[in-house]
Amino acid sequence: MRRVAVIGVGVTKFGRHERTSAELFAEAAADALADAEMPASRVQALYYGNVVGGETEKQLHTGPQAASVLGIPTVPTTRFETACASSHAAFRHAVMEVASGASDVVLVGGAERVLNVPTADSTEYFAYASDASWEQTLGLTFPGVFALVARAHMHKYGTTEEQMAAVAVKNHKHGVLNPKAQFRKEITLETVLSSPKVADPLKLYDCCPFTDGGAALVLASEDVARRARRPIWVLGSAAASDWMLIGDKRDLSRVPATERAAAAAYRQAGIGPQDVDVVELHDCFTIAEIVATEGLGLFEPGAGGLAAEKGWTSLGGKIPVNPSGGLKAKGHPIGATGAAQICEVVTQLRGEAGPRQVEGARRGLTHTLGGNTATVLVSLFGRD
Amino acid sequence: MTEPTVTLDRFFEHVRDGELTAIRCAACGALAIPPKQLCPECGARQWEPVPLSGDGTIASYTVIRVAPRGHADEAPYAIAAVRLREGVSVLGRVVDIPLDTLAIGVPVRFRPIVVKDRSAIGFGPA
Repeated sequence: MRRVAVIGVGVTKFGRHERTSAELFAEAAADALADAEMPASRVQALYYGNVVGGETEKQLHTGPQAASVLGIPTVPTTRFETACASSHAAFRHAVMEVASGASDVVLVGGAERVLNVPTADSTEYFAYASDASWEQTLGLTFPGVFALVARAHMHKYGTTEEQMAAVAVKNHKHGVLNPKAQFRKEITLETVLSSPKVADPLKLYDCCPFTDGGAALVLASEDVARRARRPIWVLGSAAASDWMLIGDKRDLSRVPATERAAAAAYRQAGIGPQDVDVVELHDCFTIAEIVATEGLGLFEPGAGGLAAEKGWTSLGGKIPVNPSGGLKAKGHPIGATGAAQICEVVTQLRGEAGPRQVEGARRGLTHTLGGNTATVLVSLFGRD
Repeated sequence: MTEPTVTLDRFFEHVRDGELTAIRCAACGALAIPPKQLCPECGARQWEPVPLSGDGTIASYTVIRVAPRGHADEAPYAIAAVRLREGVSVLGRVVDIPLDTLAIGVPVRFRPIVVKDRSAIGFGPA
């Protein structure tokens, strides 16, 4: 298999947009191609993530639509749907296309538009990623899924609501430093703890927002990447799945798919968690960040809450997590999120992250979780 | 092709009749929640239906306060993951238990409920 690099990245401003998801993707993709100094005519495939286009935009077949709006209508295009991990799944498959020798230059990205519908509708559409017969019938929501995880984690390890709130405070602090972030405002523990309950014990500020946005990146084979200005190498990219039904998961305080995907990605890269300098992970809810830091091996099981409380995951801490502001502050346009996380880590490894730069970062990790913890992607990146 | 022992529709018909039905692998004895074709433990394709007691304990729970569009008029409501006595777990809506008394480890008992005209799993006091 050939080495693969990311040679260009582009991300729209996250927040509310009066544009279709295809337009948002196209802006990010054109920026990524410009960043790569690569003409669109060199792109041989598009791997695309989009989740609720069928509901919020009454639009299926969003892959070729996105390619058409970008201006590369004849490129083979495939849309991936693995709930919130969609564009990270797209990325993994694109890496395999380049690594195999089938293509030399591939575009990866995703986009989502959800703020054009009321919150009760978007809450319902997101819940479609849980089981229709067993879970949607009960009125289970995504905050509800992670509330079940939170209760189990609190019971098993003594994790506190204050520790979860510390994740939100930290990611909002980071988000202030990211001009693309949806929220650029610091909050306090009190802001989180006194916010309205959404699904006990999760409160409004434990939850990431609904977001419109797009993200894209250009992948290239080693030969092409060597001629690029600042390639960032893909060291590993792995996926794992788990039982769909919450009831079938044996220990709700853990996300086994994270542990399996991380183990596979570390094995591919030949490194371990101690070798990672910067992490962008899936903090759809504050408890999700705590559980992910444990599953990725950054901290022992049960120590994720303490790590957040002590500032070990803050910029300047032992292992900075979500310097972009994470899903919590940067925003979570679900189909774009995996690609956006990769764009952030690439920017960090290039040393171009400005005030949120993790000094001297050489290796980075991205982690994206789909839906009810049944899909997880983990990828590792390194600079020369 | 072998017809599944317990289809999803059949399972929820049984729920409506007040019965929780698991399936047991005839080859290795593993207990599972239907529908499944292959045993996740041994790969066999031979299941037998097994009635469950309906008795279990709360493994985790939440109170949904911001509900999806289709359930907005029902909020707040509690959903619990319940570990049944036989070792399998299912989610259910909590009924007739005060929300402020919910806790992990509390014993509960299955009862059939109907949510928006659909048969669903409920758990009430043991």
